[in-house]
Amino acid sequence: MKIDPELCIACEACLPYCPMAAISMKDDVAVIDDDECVECNVCLKSKVCPVDAFAFEMPPYPRSVRHVFSDPRTEHKETKIAGRGTEEMKTNEVTGRFKRGWVGMGCEFGRPGIGTRFRDVDKVAQVLAKHGVEFESKNPVTFLMENRKTGKLKPEVLNEKVLSAIIECLYPIEKLEEIMKALKEVAKEVDTVFSVEVINRADPDGSYPLRKKLDQMGIPYYINGKQNVGLGRPKADV
Amino acid sequence: MTHTLHRRGTRESLSEDYVMLCLPAVGVNNEGHAPKLKKFLEIATKYDPVNIGTIKLGNMYSHSKEEVVKAAEAVVHAVFVNQGQVADVLKDLEKADLGMSVVVSGIFEKVDECLKKAGLKHHTANFSLGIWGKTERLPSNEILEVTTMCGHAMVAANLVREMVKEIKAGTKTPEDAAKVLAPQCACGIFNPARAAKLMAAMAAK
Repeated sequence: MKIDPELCIACEACLPYCPMAAISMKDDVAVIDDDECVECNVCLKSKVCPVDAFAFEMPPYPRSVRHVFSDPRTEHKETKIAGRGTEEMKTNEVTGRFKRGWVGMGCEFGRPGIGTRFRDVDKVAQVLAKHGVEFESKNPVTFLMENRKTGKLKPEVLNEKVLSAIIECLYPIEKLEEIMKALKEVAKEVDTVFSVEVINRADPDGSYPLRKKLDQMGIPYYINGKQNVGLGRPKADV
Repeated sequence: MTHTLHRRGTRESLSEDYVMLCLPAVGVNNEGHAPKLKKFLEIATKYDPVNIGTIKLGNMYSHSKEEVVKAAEAVVHAVFVNQGQVADVLKDLEKADLGMSVVVSGIFEKVDECLKKAGLKHHTANFSLGIWGKTERLPSNEILEVTTMCGHAMVAANLVREMVKEIKAGTKTPEDAAKVLAPQCACGIFNPARAAKLMAAMAAK
């Protein structure tokens, strides 16, 4: 993202709109810190600038990943899904992605509102890989891995900053305790925050075995969450 | 795409916050899905949502409701503030038999009560285990309660602070301040009614 210094009238109206606080005033002109800017386009799309001084041009790779991961209005070219992740459990009754006895897990880096460099994503992905998780093949972060067995990301993206990026993976419910312990340890080594989510198919009686397991392990979870209500067709056998 | 999952707040506040999503499964039933998503939004708008949106266009604070409904594609959203609305929408969706996936975000037991009223059962859940890592970098919990209503983080913490200042100064009502925040969340999952209450409480301190 660029601000045309010839057009900027130094009204400062755009400053609070930037989710990364990457816009500041310098010599009576609003300027963007290129290294902190995640190319989310919030400043431009907000139309807050009274003189249209913002201009976006898709940057070349690897900087282009900033835009793809940070602006949810951008469709990922491989997954055909807008945003940073996949349909995950939202279409599970149709796709059958999450079967009974399995846990789907997402680690959403940079969320909420801090942003992340891919080097932190890489660090955690490599730890999860060591514990044998299966990375979601349609997830945009998985596309950035040079090796899906090790979880290692392509070196050229490691310093790129994005608003958020999600590692999505799958493992048998028996591995939950081991994975949670590993995640807790590696969480001490990252320079950002990440929101963690776990997905589970309900049993025929409506209970969630994962919830029982979390309770047993003393792992807290929010009182609110997301539930697929099973209206999609055709139904998958899950 | 876990944009509606990690909303933060007290039980009382979250009791006034329900997000419904409707979408096809890409590669399975997405052919001809747009009219079905349009129908979802038509049903939702009958029950006075506080927001509706479709990501490629925006939401009802950046466009008219009619424009949003017409542009329904890929995934659509509607936000409600009480269980009665959610149960009524679910009942209509069950009858409409769109064949599209529907997800409801909210307090688990309250959503389950709505499902029961509509004769439906939950299929799969996504649980939030909260925020891990360098949490000392986060803004205050009060700010997060507002910003996490846009899971894509399009609503900046500084913009919330700015709006609270304006409410304090009397230059904006909480409702008008919420209307400044709402258009930033392109999906239309931001709950302006709840945001207005939260910001009014912050400004009153």
